[in-house]
Amino acid sequence: MLTSKTFVKKTKKGNVLKVVREHYLRDDVHCGVRDCSLCKDCPDGPSLDPSPLTHSTLCQYPHFLLPDTNICLHQIDFLEDPSVHNVILTQVVLQEVRNINPGIHRRLRDIVSNKARKFYVFSNEHHKEAYVERRENEGANDRNDRAIRACCQWYNIHLAKGLETTPPPRVILLTNDRENKRRASAAGIESYTVLEYVQSLTVSSHLLDRLATIADGEDSDKSSTRKKVYFPEHLALSVIQRGLKTGKYLQGAFRGSRENYLEGFVSIPSLEKWVLVQGLENMNRAVHDDVVAVELFPESSWTSPCGIIEADLTSNKEEEETDTAQLPAGKTSDPSLVQPTGKVVGIIKRNWRPYCGTLLPLQDMKGFRHTFVPAERRIPRIRIETRQGPNLLGKRIMVSIDAWSRLARFPSGHFVKELGPIGDRETENEVLLLEHDVPHLPFSPAVLKDLPQTPWVITDEEISKRLDLRHLSICSVDPPGCTDIDDALHYRELDNGNVEVGVHIADVSHFIRPKTALDEEASNRGTTVYLAEKRIDMVPELLSSNLCSLRSGEERLAFSVLWEMSPDDAHIVSTRFVKTVIESKESLTYAEAQMKIDDKSLRDDVTTSLRGLNSLAKILKGRRLEAGALTLASPEIRFEIDSETHDPIDLINKELKETNSLVEEFMLLANVSVAEAIYEAFPDCALLRRHPPPPTSNYDILLKAAKGKGFDLIVDSAKSLADSLEMARIPDNEYFNTLLRIMATRCMMQAVYFCSGSITYKEYHHYGLAAPIYTHFTSPIRRYSDIIVHRLLAVSIDSDVTYPLLLDKHHTQQLSNHLNHRHKMAQYAQRSSVSLHTHLFFKEKDKVEDGFVLLVRRNAIQVIIPAYGIEGSIFFDEHGQSALQYDESLLSLTVSGTKFCLFDKVVVRIAVEKKDLQTSKLALCLVSPVISGSNGVESLKAKKKKHK
Amino acid sequence: MADFEYLSPEGLRSDGRRPQELRVLSCNISHCLQADGSAYLQQGNTRVIATVYGPHDVSRRSEAQHDKAFINCQFSMATFSTSERKKRPTGDKSCLETSLALKKTFEAAILTDTYPHSKIDIFVQILQSDGSDKAVSINAITMALIDAGIPMKDYVCATSVTLINDTPIVDLNYFEERGPGPELIVGTLPKSGKIVFLQVNSRLHIDNMEKVLKEGMNGNQRVHTILDTLIKKHLEKSILT
Amino acid sequence: MALKGEPHYVAPGDVITANLGFMRGHGTYESDGKLLASVAGVVERVNRLLCVHPLKSKYNGEIGDVVVGRIIEVQQKRWKVETSSRLDSVLNLSSINLPGGVLRRRSAEDEVMIRDYLKEGDLISAEVQQVNSDGSLSLHTRSLKYGKLTEGTLVTVSPSLVKRCKNHFHNLLCGASLILGNNGYIWISPIILDDHQQEQMRFQLPSTPGSSSVKTVTHVATIEERETIARLRNCILALAQSRILLYDTTVQYAYDASLKYEVKE
Repeated sequence: MLTSKTFVKKTKKGNVLKVVREHYLRDDVHCGVRDCSLCKDCPDGPSLDPSPLTHSTLCQYPHFLLPDTNICLHQIDFLEDPSVHNVILTQVVLQEVRNINPGIHRRLRDIVSNKARKFYVFSNEHHKEAYVERRENEGANDRNDRAIRACCQWYNIHLAKGLETTPPPRVILLTNDRENKRRASAAGIESYTVLEYVQSLTVSSHLLDRLATIADGEDSDKSSTRKKVYFPEHLALSVIQRGLKTGKYLQGAFRGSRENYLEGFVSIPSLEKWVLVQGLENMNRAVHDDVVAVELFPESSWTSPCGIIEADLTSNKEEEETDTAQLPAGKTSDPSLVQPTGKVVGIIKRNWRPYCGTLLPLQDMKGFRHTFVPAERRIPRIRIETRQGPNLLGKRIMVSIDAWSRLARFPSGHFVKELGPIGDRETENEVLLLEHDVPHLPFSPAVLKDLPQTPWVITDEEISKRLDLRHLSICSVDPPGCTDIDDALHYRELDNGNVEVGVHIADVSHFIRPKTALDEEASNRGTTVYLAEKRIDMVPELLSSNLCSLRSGEERLAFSVLWEMSPDDAHIVSTRFVKTVIESKESLTYAEAQMKIDDKSLRDDVTTSLRGLNSLAKILKGRRLEAGALTLASPEIRFEIDSETHDPIDLINKELKETNSLVEEFMLLANVSVAEAIYEAFPDCALLRRHPPPPTSNYDILLKAAKGKGFDLIVDSAKSLADSLEMARIPDNEYFNTLLRIMATRCMMQAVYFCSGSITYKEYHHYGLAAPIYTHFTSPIRRYSDIIVHRLLAVSIDSDVTYPLLLDKHHTQQLSNHLNHRHKMAQYAQRSSVSLHTHLFFKEKDKVEDGFVLLVRRNAIQVIIPAYGIEGSIFFDEHGQSALQYDESLLSLTVSGTKFCLFDKVVVRIAVEKKDLQTSKLALCLVSPVISGSNGVESLKAKKKKHK
Repeated sequence: MADFEYLSPEGLRSDGRRPQELRVLSCNISHCLQADGSAYLQQGNTRVIATVYGPHDVSRRSEAQHDKAFINCQFSMATFSTSERKKRPTGDKSCLETSLALKKTFEAAILTDTYPHSKIDIFVQILQSDGSDKAVSINAITMALIDAGIPMKDYVCATSVTLINDTPIVDLNYFEERGPGPELIVGTLPKSGKIVFLQVNSRLHIDNMEKVLKEGMNGNQRVHTILDTLIKKHLEKSILT
Repeated sequence: MALKGEPHYVAPGDVITANLGFMRGHGTYESDGKLLASVAGVVERVNRLLCVHPLKSKYNGEIGDVVVGRIIEVQQKRWKVETSSRLDSVLNLSSINLPGGVLRRRSAEDEVMIRDYLKEGDLISAEVQQVNSDGSLSLHTRSLKYGKLTEGTLVTVSPSLVKRCKNHFHNLLCGASLILGNNGYIWISPIILDDHQQEQMRFQLPSTPGSSSVKTVTHVATIEERETIARLRNCILALAQSRILLYDTTVQYAYDASLKYEVKE
């Protein structure tokens, strides 16, 4: 087994330590080729063909490909192409890839795990014969290159000896590095660049498009004399590290601005305010989501965002002429708006992903060079080379960024795949799901295998383990059309004068058992995503709409919270958690429930239950508000969807009834009760949800806005904010209060899941609900967090067993982070979907509606239209309009004598504006007040989709 | 760097071993002439020296037990054993704790009733620490006791085990020991499979316990085979001529 | 079960036999109806008795054994002697020959004088008189052969290396005297002239308290004698290291063989 060992010495910084680690070299590492007579016992079975097919004119003998590190890093799309087979990945390459880009490493691993792809990982670092030791004065990279070459040599000798096929297959080194190539041929190894190899292929010509356009390092250096340099060089990582330590540079995530392509922000954990980066040169090729190092300017030159909404319209051809645009910075006079300002000095980690978008139409689509416009506004345009230009026009496509050289105005990338025609609902849905990283493929057979057999019945054995509540008048109240009913309620009077209230939640954890494929899939999806016309389920439909859905008249398994309460003051006498079997008597909509309550003539069980619940809910709500819970608002709309065409027919503002709050109150109560219970049982690893209070600076805009109308909001606590919001009402403008609440909502932080062991109890606080501890328990059908909470609670009442990961603090925290990400993305996807449908809705319409000014910018006003809950900006062109006066302190903009203040009422026309064949936008035009000259006309919010 | 890969999908650990593979174990028996029994044992880069004195008369009356021998055990780490020099080689809390645990372990294995009123001193020192210190110490003490000719029920063999991605890996080096998984150290009498030492660092879920323990016991069988071969060789070499 | 021919090596836990017809001796124990080894060594069988002798072990004294030991404690009427056994041995005041060479009653005076006869650190040769119930040994020096040792070198080896012989006192031809203690303690000293002189020397014990016994030694070893002693010591250690049984012949052979090597600084 074990033949020899060497010692690898490493020194760490700080105290210089000598670390000695053993390094075992083995003689039982399989070469990965089937039928090899020299190797025995391959763990997963050898994956490489003994005589691989060849389609290359360059090497017309059977061969394996062995890519080097840079090929893996840059040409991952090439490697991912299903037509590429029989590839050997060496351990040294994988390790380097892993260190440089874990994302690509994951993708490589995915390829390897797909047996059909015939990729093999050769553990050369532990192979007795293929291992090479680093020589004195040899750089780490040089050593690794040599190790890769050593693998090629070893394979060539080994295959000749171990295989009976004639001719024995050879190994071809794929490298774009000239030096490496030179040395390889000196050592008798065939090596080609990817381009050479792909061009020589007689089949799969589409591969050429998938190649990343990486300029050879030397080429770009030579040409730099004649080409224009757009950007300063990035600092070396080591310099950055040193700078970070001394505090000269700061590390943070780069956030592009949606509104202005010349601005970006860097969120730095240690600073309360984001660091503003203005101008392309200062942004220095940072792309949204990259982790960057910034250097702050001296405080005297700090400035504020310019407030101008500007889109990058620089097209392909203009590139040469357009100078790096400079912003009118530092205009601000208000010191409270000044933000730390700086410039990007280096990129610590790129977080590029494939982007969806369209090609910019050109006169000559037949050319190779094209400009790609991403759907996400925060991503710069990307230059790509493709031969399929004419085909791709008018299509949604996906493109990856390969590099962004100092000499290029735009990053260069390559075509990945085509999604479908622009404006097609399916395509657009696909785009928004892809853009928001929502897993939406159909459930795999492995997942479906974990589903219970149908027809499914509750066994007597199962009933005997549970509390039988089938006799109670349990009912559910949900929005109309809801098929995944995860909660139901009951209410009954007890003999002792108290009442019993039960919240029954679908017992999803009964069906989704840990460690199954179903569980993993649900955990990965994290949440059900509700789009305007469809739902991307977290669990297969059999569960979500049938077995777990607490439909009326069906016996269902539930996890119940039962309280004994005193009817007068809703004081909780006792709380009980129990697994039950229930039968809902009625599934009501909010409206139906409301009608039942209001209809005095009804006396049936369900109705009296609802009335009892309703009165308790009012007490609970009152108590909650008393404690400082916030009532916030956000415009929510719903679409009436045509059942045939799936086109939106009408827009309805979601209406809140008393019954909404009835259900909500008891859900909140259940969540709080459960949170307390699981925290007590698992102080270290309970999955909870918290909502941190926002830093007071978040409220600046809100305060200023309220002040403009003569109201002083107090924001030092949730309670005072809630009270002062309640006070701020203007008699003749009912919508004013709602507007304030909308604005207040936008000041808030995101509520997040977390693991109880990771922070102190004080930080568990849920600001919005004014609860010291909170979790999600009531929607296990659509949220994975609730499933975990169910499992924890089940363990704490001894009705289920634990499993290792459930009690792993580290894992729970990781899961929380994952769920937070999924939830955020789901929300974004939901909003995108709404805006997409708004767009579809207005396609053939032209409406004039009332709107309110929500925000005033330097060259635009942002308007909200309550009737449809949509928002958009109205631009005023500086050149066309004689005077644009922006008053920062009052937040007002005067255009040709007409002054726009916050909350002013305006009348706008909503229409879809078609600029050209490809792009169309939902546009708002100002109808009243009338501005002399042309009306400012511009698009909806940035993320709203263009439409054909 | 993201999470470190402790076990590659190809089934190799960071130092090139397979999950159930022990490090190279070598042992030098009876190297110390002063002591009644001694052994220098190394598993990979963990090097341990164990010496046994006794049985001899008790040094304090209070130690004397009328029906069995008193066992004294002292565990220490050399100042130079870790990559950063240690200030206090003996007497810190963890050393005392380990000493006590080792004492209990060997009380269970040594036929103490052979030696009433006597005392057996066991000294064990880590010369170089590279993970599994306690397990290697136990193996070393076993060898020293056998060298001293002190009657025992069986060898005491120990290994450490952790769980990486649900795969148990045995005989941890320092690096793996510091990893995220729970560490279980199990010492058994390999012939009978009786457990005489068991320690779990950080939480190990009960469902995994069996799996991890089984792998640890298997590891102990392998340790036993190696130690037994060493002892038999030693016997052959040093039998009276 | 290979009891004959090839030596049967066992280690702790190894099954020696499942046959219960055997009696269990040293180094074995019984479990589940089987006889198992508790130490590492070779199985020895004497009729129905099975035992395993470990390579090294503490000295297991038997009556009549000659031992060399060191006084570690002086108590009322007795000395504690360290003899490499698992418990300290006892030398009673009553078990020594008192000055004068004649048997006489021990008086209270002798008890007071006990430290003048032997004190901590002194080396003695003695014979095992009896094995006590707790396993400790009682010694006696009531023979002219035994008694306090002065002028010489102590070598310690494993007790198992010393062959049980009729005689453990040897005057080697090379000009040194050797006491091969059964407990693995070996005393090398300049040759003792003859029994009479020895007697003379040995019992010229101090008549006045406080005078050291060393003073009574009249003989001072010459440089040659010292060289011989040193050579013998190394020979014995060499033999011990190669695990060769020690008795007069082996020591003498080793000594002879060593003569071709010069003494070096």
